[in-house]
Amino acid sequence: MDNKAEMRFDVLEGGDRTLKVTVSGELDITNIDTLASAVAPALERGPARLVIEVGDLRFADSSAIALWVRWSTAVPDVELRHVPPLLRRVVASMGLSETLKVSP
Amino acid sequence: MAYPCRNDAGVAMTESGPISVPEAESANGTGGVEHGGEAGRAPRARRAWPYWLAVAVGVVGLVVTGVLVWISASTYTRNENRLLNLRARDAGTLLTGALPTLQIPLASAAALADATDGDVAKFRNFISPSVGPPPKGQFVSVSLWRLGAGPPTRLVTVGVAPVLGFSSPHLSEFVAQARQGGKLRVMGLLDLSQPRLGYTFTSPGLTGRYVTYAESALPANRQSRFQSSSSFSDLDYALYLGRSQTHANLLVTDLSELPIGGRHAAVTIPFGDTVLTFVVTPRRPLAGSFAQALPWLVAIVGVLLSLGAALITARLIARRTQAERLAGSLELIADENRRLYAEQRTIARTLQHALLPERLPSVQGVETSARYEAGVKGVDIGGDWYDLIALDDHRLLLVVGDVSGRGVRAAATMAALRFAIQAYAAQNDPPDAILSKLSKLVNVGRSGQLATILCALVDVEAHRLTVTSAGHLPPLLISDGRGTYVESEVGVPIGVRAAAQYTSTSIDTPPAATLLAFTDGLVERRGESIDEGLARLQRAATTNHVPLDELVGRLIEDLRLDGGDDDTAIAALRWLE
Repeated sequence: MDNKAEMRFDVLEGGDRTLKVTVSGELDITNIDTLASAVAPALERGPARLVIEVGDLRFADSSAIALWVRWSTAVPDVELRHVPPLLRRVVASMGLSETLKVSP
Repeated sequence: MAYPCRNDAGVAMTESGPISVPEAESANGTGGVEHGGEAGRAPRARRAWPYWLAVAVGVVGLVVTGVLVWISASTYTRNENRLLNLRARDAGTLLTGALPTLQIPLASAAALADATDGDVAKFRNFISPSVGPPPKGQFVSVSLWRLGAGPPTRLVTVGVAPVLGFSSPHLSEFVAQARQGGKLRVMGLLDLSQPRLGYTFTSPGLTGRYVTYAESALPANRQSRFQSSSSFSDLDYALYLGRSQTHANLLVTDLSELPIGGRHAAVTIPFGDTVLTFVVTPRRPLAGSFAQALPWLVAIVGVLLSLGAALITARLIARRTQAERLAGSLELIADENRRLYAEQRTIARTLQHALLPERLPSVQGVETSARYEAGVKGVDIGGDWYDLIALDDHRLLLVVGDVSGRGVRAAATMAALRFAIQAYAAQNDPPDAILSKLSKLVNVGRSGQLATILCALVDVEAHRLTVTSAGHLPPLLISDGRGTYVESEVGVPIGVRAAAQYTSTSIDTPPAATLLAFTDGLVERRGESIDEGLARLQRAATTNHVPLDELVGRLIEDLRLDGGDDDTAIAALRWLE
């Protein structure tokens, strides 16, 4: 089935080895691979810091959270920024608030 | 579809078995699809040759063309005939008007001879201007005869001698016939080497009975043309003496071949005691060459239009046929896709249920129930599972888990975790130790997978519940019509860290309590906080007095009404009173 959820993202590699990934829309199992393969090359260059900007993300399922956790195993410093309350609650319910360094 | 597993204490588990359901599905779904395909193909095979309409259009066009050609051709013919008759009548009128110029000199000469009693000199003087070689002279020979009791007597001849000779009895007889008098008599002398027309005229009622005999010469080959300036230059003609159009009667023509075939018209003109027959035929269409060409034009244009219309029709039919064929094959492909989809879905469900417990264990003092519900959209196998493991005769380990992602990889991880839990439980590991050990089996950095797992260790006799969570939603404990989530410290999901540590939380349960553990498919809706979903479940689950299977089924059906695209697993346990 090709009914992918509507999702947009932007990958920005800063000069200070900071990788910033901005995701908006809905991120779920139907489009998670698109995001994963788009970010993979930047991750391979070994950023010191990863900022995941999710201020405009309306929905994220467990596969999205799994992807972020996976990124967190590859980058020393990962921050989930501007997390909407609903998402923050999901991350908390999964015991991942510390792993993903959820910031308001 | 739901696959309830239930176990009342002391009663053998009944499991309908997942295999039978796919068979039922294939009977209802796949069979139906194929039936639809047959029904769709049969009319196409029976359909007649599709181009008959093009042929009909062509035939109708040709028939219409034929009718139009016939109408225009017959109109042309009628018009030509009418015009030709008009022209023939005109020519006849003209000819009739010319005849007196022949008669008047002869009549006048006869009257003069009568008045002068046969004065030869006066006769000669009078008639001489009319006599000479053609075409200047009107006559080649004119002679004056007196009628008596015997044969006529010739008095004088002006011009050449009569062609028959003076002594010819035939001539005498012809002259003698003039006695009956009063009008021009005509004699054809056409079969001679010098063809001539002979005339006699006598003045009726006068004394002397004098007769004028004249001959005019005809062209030896009877050929003479109208002058090109003549208004009849568009006609060919033939002039006959008498009514019969035979060669023997031919006076003059401009045609080399006689009789006239094709379109022609004839008029008869009184000429003395006989008639002339004047036959004309057009050299070219009298109404113009366009009128002649019109039927051909109609025929050519009509045939071309008919063929064109037939070809266009055929082409449209061909396109429609092609489109229908394409639609048909698309329909077949769609059928095939539906069938494959149904098959894949069936395989996924079969595999999923094969990975779930075949039967739930029975432990004295509790009843259990569990259900797995596939996401409505999914063809993939999901990663949700439940398990109920009897540790001994009074303790149960209730497990609910959810591997992130879908497909065979998620299912494989799920199976590995499930069997690992059974193995660790069999060697009496406590839940927190089990989860710590599981952390070494999954690595999100390698596989991209996480698993949330809830372990609830139930001591049936002691009414004690120990909950350990690896990133999983808390279980709901229902008692006395009230549901409470058993909050415990939530550890990280399996897969985040290989050395993850977990903490268990133990509570005492009221008698006749119901424990409900589930995966997020039951409470998660897009655009809504998970707390709202949890509260909804809490409200829905307060009806504690329905049988456990019914409660589980009702929750699945009620809470997944508008969502349902995610898999859901529920495991439930109820202390019997």
